[in-house]
Amino acid sequence: MPAPSDAIIRTQNLRRVYESRKGFLFQEHVRVEALRGVDLEVDRGEIFGLLGPNGAGKTTLTKILATLLLPSSGRAWVLGLDVTRDVTRLRSRIGLVLGGERGLYNRVSARENLRYFADLYGVPLDRRDRRIQEVLDLVELSEAADRRVEEFSRGMKQRLHLARGLLHEPELLFLDEPTIGLDPKSARQMRHLVRGLVAQGVSVFLTTHYMFEAEELCHRIAILSRGRLVARDTVAGLRSLVGGDRTFEVEGYGFEDEEVRRLKSLPSVGRIVEEDFGPRERLTLRVRGEELTVDQVRAALPSQRDLFIRERRTTLEDIYLDLVEEEPA
Amino acid sequence: MTPPGPRLLGPRVLGASFRLAALTFVADPQWLVPSIVAPVVFALAAYVMYAGSGGVLVLYAVLGAGMMSMWGQTLYGSGWAVGQDRYLGTLEPVLGAPASYLWVVAGRVLWNTILGLLGGGIVYAVIATTYGRALPLQHPVEFVGLFVLIIGTLAAVGLVLTATFVFTRYAGFIQNIGEFAFYVVSGCMFPVILLPFWVTPVSLIFPATWALDALRYASIPGYGGLPWGFTADLAGALGLTLVYLAIAGTLFHRVERHVLSAGTADEY
Repeated sequence: MPAPSDAIIRTQNLRRVYESRKGFLFQEHVRVEALRGVDLEVDRGEIFGLLGPNGAGKTTLTKILATLLLPSSGRAWVLGLDVTRDVTRLRSRIGLVLGGERGLYNRVSARENLRYFADLYGVPLDRRDRRIQEVLDLVELSEAADRRVEEFSRGMKQRLHLARGLLHEPELLFLDEPTIGLDPKSARQMRHLVRGLVAQGVSVFLTTHYMFEAEELCHRIAILSRGRLVARDTVAGLRSLVGGDRTFEVEGYGFEDEEVRRLKSLPSVGRIVEEDFGPRERLTLRVRGEELTVDQVRAALPSQRDLFIRERRTTLEDIYLDLVEEEPA
Repeated sequence: MTPPGPRLLGPRVLGASFRLAALTFVADPQWLVPSIVAPVVFALAAYVMYAGSGGVLVLYAVLGAGMMSMWGQTLYGSGWAVGQDRYLGTLEPVLGAPASYLWVVAGRVLWNTILGLLGGGIVYAVIATTYGRALPLQHPVEFVGLFVLIIGTLAAVGLVLTATFVFTRYAGFIQNIGEFAFYVVSGCMFPVILLPFWVTPVSLIFPATWALDALRYASIPGYGGLPWGFTADLAGALGLTLVYLAIAGTLFHRVERHVLSAGTADEY
């Protein structure tokens, strides 16, 4: 069944298992389920963010969609093409930017790196040099274009990765943690570039560890935990999923069960997370709407004499932690 | 941007890969040692050892050194090119491009075989210059033609062996063992006819064995090599080279599929 035309990415019960052997004489069979039945749809023209802790399966999913890894079972379509069958056609229409220091030919210049990949992607010869200059200008590496890549800083290498991913003018760009390890200025520059690409009609599938980055950039976000998608929505939609767009952090000593129950019964309180916080205890309340006040919270906790209550907006990080922590192993 | 089809893309990728291999070589002068310096030293030592034994033995020795240079460069250089892709983390982005990795490797193998040819030529020139006389070749024109054929046969074997470097990061182990075994078995060092009879079937698997035997027929007066003679040697070398190229085409497709299935392209 082909993917519908409005979805540029569609997966159906996608699974991936890694199997390996450890040891020499007494070999141990190791089996890791990286993806456990992922169903996903991404629309054209959006920046779709994929969040998840280390080992959640983000890179595995990205590589499967970018045809660099075969799924163990299930199916996936990108731009309407099957990622295991229409590989060559698909590769010429997508770009992949894997983060990190590796993945470039360090002994030759940035321009030579780009020229090599332009040839591998079949960028028309009459356009090749002009296109290389365009992407170098875009990522602001023109002045360093003829320097060896081994002389580049991490941020420059990251921008060169992005330039390479854009050489053949892909319709869809996969960005795997593009700002990891970058200083704040370089990271901001990278986000600015990504926004600019979307304005030009490129769709982006982004994995990141940085919640503020996802919140700032992404139209929709999916959260992957232990190989399963635990949520998929806009940031506003995810807020309502975890019980509210406001958060109250209440710190005190030894909250009684009755007090916690009383807080839960307040009309606009969604989820409550209890955690020890040094000698103190912290209750984190997700709250819908504007009705609940600090005084009402204080009134529900009459035994507490030394209360600290802080009210703030629910962040994507709150949502992420709520969803990931409640996911069973 | 629609790229040309794989058939049109292939030769272009070969050229790009050749160019990158050349640029990388120029940027890293340490490769001059195994490619050029070592064979010259080896050939000079061989010449000094055999100079008193007459012209034919000297020719054996110098040919052996030249062939070892070419083979070493083809296998080591080509294998390392893929190993380097793993080390640098470029194997994944290269595999992720629409071009077939076979063409990428072919470009590198081509660069390394040409470098090997250059190494062989330099060996000959150094010997001739140092000792003030050209080596006594029986048929110089055929010698040059066969030299080029040997390069082709070595490249075909190198292409097949290079697939192992895509397959596994431990291919260096195979390379280190294979390099010296090949020197002996294929007749690089001395004619296979001198080896124990049970080695001959193994030797005949490699097209280079046939081509080297033909080369010795063409260059050494009174040479008594494999019993079927020069013409059959030549046909065998050409036929086996084509077989190796066909195997490489199939093998690369399967190896690439295996790497994508096992998820080992990012390992080094």
